[in-house]
Formats: sequence, C-alpha cells, structure tokens
Amino acid sequence: MTDRIIELLKRSGADAWEVKDKNVKAWEFYFIRHQLDQNRVRDVEHIEVTVYRKLEDGKFLGSATQEIAPTASDEEAGKIIADLYNRAAYVKNPYYELNKKPVKGGGESFDPAQMARDFIEVMQQIPETSGEDINSYEIFAESCTRRYVNSEGIDVTVSYPSSTVEVVVNARNEDHEIELYRMYTSGTCDKENLVKEISKTLSFGKDRLAAVPTPALEKATVLFTTADSVELFKWFAMKMHAAFKYRGLSDWEKGKAICDDVKGDTFTIKAVKELPNSSYNAPVDSQGAEIRDMYILKNNVPENFWGDVQFSYYLGVQDSFIASNFAAEGGEVSESELRNGNYLEPVEFSDFSVDPITGDIVGEIRLAYWHEGDKVTPVRGGSVSGTLAELIKNVRLSRELSQYDNTLVPSAIRIEGVTVTGA
Amino acid sequence: MKAKFSAYLNEIAPGLKEMIAELGKSYDYVSVLSTDSVGFNVRVSQRVKSINGSTLTTERGNVVRVYKDGLYSEYSFNRFDPDRAKDMAAEVKNVLDAQLSVLAATGSKVYDTPKLDDEKQELFVEMETGMLPEETDLSALVDKLQRFSDEGVAMSDEVIDCNCVAQSTHICKMFLTTNKDLRQSYVYSEGTVLTIGARDGKSDQSYSGISDRLGPEIFDGLGEAVKKGNRELNDILGADHVIPGEYEIITSPEVSGLIAHEAFGHGVEMDMFVKKRALGAEYIGKRVGSDMVTMHEGAKCVRDVTSYAFDDEGTPAGDVIEIDKGILKTGVCDALAALRLGTKPTGNGKRENFEHKVYTRMTNTMFDPGTSTKEEMIASVKKGYLLEGMDSGMEDPKHWGIQCIVSRGYEIIDGKLTGKVISPVIMTGYVPDLLGSISMASTDYESYGNGACGKGHKEWVKTVDGGPYLKAVAKLG
Repeated sequence: MTDRIIELLKRSGADAWEVKDKNVKAWEFYFIRHQLDQNRVRDVEHIEVTVYRKLEDGKFLGSATQEIAPTASDEEAGKIIADLYNRAAYVKNPYYELNKKPVKGGGESFDPAQMARDFIEVMQQIPETSGEDINSYEIFAESCTRRYVNSEGIDVTVSYPSSTVEVVVNARNEDHEIELYRMYTSGTCDKENLVKEISKTLSFGKDRLAAVPTPALEKATVLFTTADSVELFKWFAMKMHAAFKYRGLSDWEKGKAICDDVKGDTFTIKAVKELPNSSYNAPVDSQGAEIRDMYILKNNVPENFWGDVQFSYYLGVQDSFIASNFAAEGGEVSESELRNGNYLEPVEFSDFSVDPITGDIVGEIRLAYWHEGDKVTPVRGGSVSGTLAELIKNVRLSRELSQYDNTLVPSAIRIEGVTVTGA
Repeated sequence: MKAKFSAYLNEIAPGLKEMIAELGKSYDYVSVLSTDSVGFNVRVSQRVKSINGSTLTTERGNVVRVYKDGLYSEYSFNRFDPDRAKDMAAEVKNVLDAQLSVLAATGSKVYDTPKLDDEKQELFVEMETGMLPEETDLSALVDKLQRFSDEGVAMSDEVIDCNCVAQSTHICKMFLTTNKDLRQSYVYSEGTVLTIGARDGKSDQSYSGISDRLGPEIFDGLGEAVKKGNRELNDILGADHVIPGEYEIITSPEVSGLIAHEAFGHGVEMDMFVKKRALGAEYIGKRVGSDMVTMHEGAKCVRDVTSYAFDDEGTPAGDVIEIDKGILKTGVCDALAALRLGTKPTGNGKRENFEHKVYTRMTNTMFDPGTSTKEEMIASVKKGYLLEGMDSGMEDPKHWGIQCIVSRGYEIIDGKLTGKVISPVIMTGYVPDLLGSISMASTDYESYGNGACGKGHKEWVKTVDGGPYLKAVAKLG
C-alpha cells in the first residue's frame, strides 16, 4: 500500500511530502499471579502521510497530516491526499526544509515469540516468599519495522525490538498487604537485570510494611536512586528541545550557563545513538535524519538544541535530529560517599512528576528511607516538592551510572533543600 | 443531524461475520470489535499551526476475541480483506495456537474463566450532533482559532503565546458475535486553550478547556476559555508556595471531579478486585465518606465525551451509584471481570483502541450536587483555600492514598478570599479521611472531559469527571 500511496503523492501536485510506515508484530501475555489471564497478538500497519504546500511564493510552508489505512482503496487514499493538499493551505507556517541528506537504515527483525517466552521464563524465576510475591504482570514483546520516505529522496527502513513488562508485587504481614508497581521497558528481555530489579522491588515491599509516617522535615536533603531520576533529566532535555525553545517555553541559550552560584556538581547530558538494549536504538529518526552522539548540555552550558526538522530549521540548527537515547555524565564521588549525614531516599512515589516548563517537582511518597547517620527508617506518606531551577544549584551526582531503557543517569543524585511534607 | 454510521464498517461486516462463523468451528465463543473513527486536531498559536487527522481515538481496525478451555485470547489487526475471511480466520487460529505452544512449553497455567453469554441482540445508534468533523470547514476553524489566539496574547504583555486546540472525533464502532450485531456512531469534541506567560523570569502556563458529545460547533465556546485562561495565568504568575499543612478546602467542580476519579473511580474498577489489588472489595456496604457523598459512574450519567451507547465488549451503557450517602455500594465492571466475580458487567469495558486489551475503565465519574452555594461555602471557612484547576492525579486503590496536583489555591481567611494565590498545590491524604471530611456541597453540577486517563502508566482512554463545589479538609504541600 505504501508504494501506491507514494505514487499518488508524486502525482498530487504537493510541493513536498513524507510517508511514515510502521509495522508491528507483537505478542502479549497477561498473568494474574502466575496464571494466564489472556494472550494476545497484534499484527498492524500504520501509514501516516504529510503533504506540504508552499504558500505566498515560498515564504510560508503549509502542511497537513493524516493516517491512511492499509486497506484503503486508491480512490480513498487519493481523496485523503487531495484533502491534505487543501488543508495544507490553511496552515501558514514559516518556510522550512525537510531532511535530504542520504541516510542508511539498519537493524534486524526480532522474533516476538522468543522475546515473549524469555519474559515468561524470567518471571517464573523471580524468588518469591510467603511474605513477598508477584500479584500480576503483563508482557509486551514487539518487533517493529519503520520505513520513512520523503519527496527529497530519502527512503530508509529501520527495524528494532521493543518490549515492556508491567509488574505488580505484594508484600504482607499479619495485619495488612501492600503493593508496589513497576514498568520496565527495553529492547529485548534483559533477564539478569529484570530479576535483579524485581527482587529489589520485593524487598522494598517488605520495608513498606514496616514503614512509619514520613516526618515533616520541611527542607531536607533528598537522594534519588531509582528510575525517578530519569524524570529529573528529562527536564534538562526538554529545555533544550527546539520546539520548546521556539515556542518560548525555554529561555535557555547556547553558551550561557543555566544557573549561577553553583555549589555542587554541574550537569552534562549527551544525545547518543545507542545504549545497550535500549528500545530506542535506531540509526535514523522518524523524519529521516541521521542520529549521532551530540552534547546537549556540557557543565551546565547549553551546547546544542535538538528536535524535529521544522523547529530546528527555525532556530538555525544544522543537522539536528530527534534524539531518543540520552546519557548523563556522573560526578566525581562515589554513591557511597554521597550517602552521609541525614537524607531522605524515596524509592516509590504514587507518581513523580517534573513540570517541563516550571521545573516544579512533585511526588507523594509511598516508600522512602530516612537516613540519620547509620540509622535507616522506612517511611511512607507525605510528599517531596521543589523547583529544579533553584534546586540544581546544590546537587551532587554519583560517579556510578544506571541505565533505565533509553536514559543513562547517575545512580544517585543528592539534592539539598527539597521540601518534604510529613504524612 | 445524525452522526452517520461508517460505510466502511457496513461494507466489511459480512466478511467479519463469515470469519466469526469460521472461527466458531474451533472456539466456543467469538466476537469482533471493528472501529472506523475519523477526526481532526487543529492547533493554532502565534508561532506555529498544524492540522492532523489523528486524535487520541481515531482508528480503523479490528480485534477478534475467542474462547476455549477457560481461556480468552485476542488478535488485533488492520489489514482485513472481506473476500479472504476464511484465510484470515486460519491465520488467527495459527498464531494463537503458536502462543499456546509457548505457554505449554513454559508450563503456564490458565486462569479458568466461564464463557460469555451470547444472547441475540441488535442495536443501531446514530447520535445527534450539530456538525461532523469530516465535513467541517477547517479553513474557517483555523481562522477562528487564530482570532482567539490573537485575543489571548493581546490581553497582557506577560503572555508569550496562546495555543488554541480544537479536536473532534466521529466514533464508529461495530460489535459482532454469532448472535449480536451492535453498531454505534457519535461525535465528541474538545477544545483547549494553553496560555503561556512569564513574569520576573518565571514561566508558567494555564490550561482551560471545553468538551461535549457534540460536533465542532462547540468551539465557539473557546472565546470564554481564552479569557479564563488569561485570568488564571495572571494568578499563577503571582502565586506563592503553600506552607505545608492541613487546611479547610473548597474544591471547584473540576477538582471535585479529580478527587472522584482518583479516590473511588480507580478504586472500584472491579478487574482490580479480581487481582485483589483494590481495598474497595472489602468495603462494599461500609462507610467510606460523609453523608454528603453520593457518587455516580457510567456512560449514561451525563452527556460528555465518553457517553457511548455500548462499551468495547458490547455491554450497554450504564449508570451505577457507587457511593450512596457515604456508603460504598458497588463498583464498575468489564465483562470478563464480571464472570470471574460472579456479577453483572456495567458497561465499563474499554480499550485504548482496537490494538489494546479491555480493562475495567471509568466513563463519567460524578459527585452528586448538594444544597449550598459556593459563596456560603467560602463564608464558612476559617482558614483554608479554594482549589481550582486540575493538573494531574494518581490512583492508589490498594491503600487508598490519594495524590492530586492542583493548579491554584486561593486563600480564604475568616470566610473571605484574601487575593493571595498558591501554585502548584499537592493535595495528599487517605481517601476515607478526605471523603469523610466533606461537609458541604454546592448546587453546581459540571463535567469535564478534556483529559485522558491511564491505568498504571499506560492504556490511555478518554474519561470524564466532575460534580459540585465540595468543602473538605486535606493536607496541602
């Protein structure tokens, strides 16, 4: 169908066009305890077409986008393309150019059956006890193929695996039962890491049973040591997103430090082409641009904005791309050295969020460890909050790094002066 | 006008029925949900515009559900050729058999579930709408949104941009089994205004929206949303942080809806009862709130974006009283969870789209109104906040913790608004404590359908919630 759509686009009168064709074959298994709730297969194709139209002698470029069903007839597809051509005239955006540099695709197709089987076998190996066990889990194993074609001569295909396992664990004592939720995403099944992570979550469950209400600490030192750290780093990445900058949502400027009076470590973040077993490993982005390693932020100084072709063009950014893997650099001290004095270590939030515009961080604590020297007390309830723009002036980063799917971050991030509301 | 049902679905229906008959030779139950939903998403700001034919719920595809030996299995696909229905049935069986081989090889046991009933039923519903998204003049709509955006930035020098978004979707769904043929068609629309501004180096944005189970004619209402968004941005930019503590609060209908959704909406989704993940199962018939608390859930409760005729399993829309004067009465249930629990489904079996599994999901979750006025409620507060604007929330059905991120709090001292604003506001607490503290409810009754709801951190569906102003006590941080 895609090739027929391309032929229709060539005859449509469009000044430019692009087609994104994504095929997914997925196997899914849903378990309650270790009993199969349901098994599912997905075999789908999504074809998205964008038609571009020069307006006012090329001063502006209009565009309109729509998905065309793989079952569409030529007549139906032709009508959608004609409608898109008309609609593009209403979307008067400043002119920009599509990617045109030749790129090379790659990747290999993966067998979702084997991937799914690996996950089932791993979940059966998790060491459970009468006090801590697995409530339910859902396994999603996908083999994806993505083809990108545009009017500027790019026709590239990439293939990659993507998998997710959602796990709910329980822990119980004589009085009550609690649960913890986790979702792990990766390329294929990383057996060793998954067993380690879920086992750790089971031990968190045990501690949550013994947790006492979080004290009202007002301002405290907080140590982030879980996947929540990724949310902190996303804020930096979004502040350097070309669309964010162009829309006025980021006031960061290349070459100008993002904050003054830094008492701790500075932040260095790179967009990277690949991370081991990331579900985002591909040599080309969704707009046909080559993905490469590139500094986004170096020692708190913005180096390169990144993002889609339209906003990168507006900012005058050359050879940009939609980054999909991010790697932060660690600090000079070890994680164990960061673990000193009094600090709160949250390991489970209801939902930890960072507002991409304001940098406000918010999270209700489901389990944290309150460290007072050698004394460690599991606590629950209350919340942490603050504003990253202020908090980043006094942060220490561990030398060791941890990877969470497509993001590599310091394994421990110590932030001073975080507001902690008691339970 | 009527929202006309999809010609495409009518065209493939005979082929799908042939496939169902073919699969019926191998399975004890077969159903197919087919969708053909079209729409648009138009965005206009001062800096950039876009038109996209996709919304959260546009889709065209099919999902077949089969049952044998206590197990339900599904196959999602979107390349169906009605002339090759038997081949498609063979393909479905082959790949599902391959999955069973993996399950056998790994020694996986099945959660044995009874078979769904398949009583004869026919339904054809085309709901009323003023306009259809596929027939809308998008040129005129872009011009309209541009005027709103221009008005938004002209209102204050502090406004950086005003993004106006109009989305409309024409939903067409067809549910077929050997004995059922259900078809529904309706249109829903939602408009949002995001106003971005900066003051003294601090950037922030306000969010204001409208929604209804109607067509693009509702977008005229965005003019008021622009004015509201501007007022709210001004409030946020001048806001302080709250001093953490316990306060008397009055929640706006939007924030009341967020509480309804997070507190007991998720808490009584009965697929969570099956997994023993919800404390609510142990509290049926017990007090969970004050006498002021009555809560409804169902597609028939109000008219808004999730007010459908039947759910994604072919169960008719319902209206369930979950909490009656503070007593938890029942939950809501999809068809398979109902079989497992020995109860009746309530019309709450929803999929993110044809590619996703059914879960028990909310539709319209609403607190009942009371008898007070908002002014009387403010006058009754010694020291506290009027909370307005919803940012996000998170459920915790197992422990009944609640986390709501609210956009703004307006200080009330000795029964009067002082003009001081706090933002953002994290409201946390224990659900029965929060609902038990509700002491007043206003006569207002408003629903909000601009958001989307996940289950855990995935499975995004449209949901609606709301109610009146409520007076309660909560921890703010």
